[in-house]
Amino acid sequence: MNDADVSKQIQQMVRFIRQEAEEKANEISVAAEEEFNIEKLQILEAEKKKIRQEYERKQKQVDIRKKIEYSMQLNASRIKVLQAQDDLVCSIKEAAAKDLLVISNNQQAYKKLLKNLIVQSLLRLKEPAVLLRCRKDDLKLVESVLQVAKEEYAKKTNISYPDIVVDNKIFLPPAPKHDIGHETYCSGGVVLASVDGKIVIENTLDARLDVAFRKKLPEIRRRLFAKIAA
Amino acid sequence: MDTRQSGIQQLLAAEQEAQRIVNEARNAKMARLKQAKEEAEKEVAAYRAQMEAEFQRKLAQSSGDSGANVKRLEQETEEKIEHLKSQAENISHDVVQMLLKHVTTVKN
Repeated sequence: MNDADVSKQIQQMVRFIRQEAEEKANEISVAAEEEFNIEKLQILEAEKKKIRQEYERKQKQVDIRKKIEYSMQLNASRIKVLQAQDDLVCSIKEAAAKDLLVISNNQQAYKKLLKNLIVQSLLRLKEPAVLLRCRKDDLKLVESVLQVAKEEYAKKTNISYPDIVVDNKIFLPPAPKHDIGHETYCSGGVVLASVDGKIVIENTLDARLDVAFRKKLPEIRRRLFAKIAA
Repeated sequence: MDTRQSGIQQLLAAEQEAQRIVNEARNAKMARLKQAKEEAEKEVAAYRAQMEAEFQRKLAQSSGDSGANVKRLEQETEEKIEHLKSQAENISHDVVQMLLKHVTTVKN
């Protein structure tokens, strides 16, 4: 081979080496682009998904808290209404209790009432001997109807007259002087007991009001909740 | 003798150049991948900011709603109570009379 040929071959080889390198560099470059896109997309998708989940969770917490708050407020307002109902019903009872106090002012009617209450208590007790307690102010009235009461009881039950001992040491508490406070008081009526004190019939006006009130409570409530007629 | 030397030198130089070219491509690739991470992170941050803004917007809107709800509930409650009060006034007298009648009527 002469120098020219060698030189030519060398040039060819140099070109070949360069070409190979550039092709390789190109491959690397293309692969780099592909990997760039894949990597970027992967990271984006993974992170976005995490963020979405995070915010979904946050939103859920917020929603739950809102529901709880609303439910609490609903409960609070329901309780308020129930409390108002209760207060109103109680105030009606208080109004009745107030009116009870004037019953004993009508001597004639009250006398008759006392008699009936005594007879009723005797019928309930069915005892031949009883103790009776009343208010100090009612003592005279009670004593004035005792006989009639005994007779009525005897007639109804066909038993001989019962023995009624009126307690003139201990009395039922008197009516309040001014407005009803917190002290115990009695609006009237009588309390009868068997001689051994084991059976007691509380036939005071106040006790009767309690019984009537409790009995009529469902009806009172119903009337309270009825829609006002337009 | 000289031509062979220069020929070999040329080949060596070409090899070196080839190596340089490939290394350059490899470095460019690394840089590109790093760029992928950086760009992705930027977009992720933007996405997060967007989600946060939306979240806050919804939050503000719903708290406005619940404020209105609370007011409405309070108003309804007051109305119910007023209704009950006036109803109680209406029936009070009759109920009291009924109770008094029960107290004073004795069936023997």
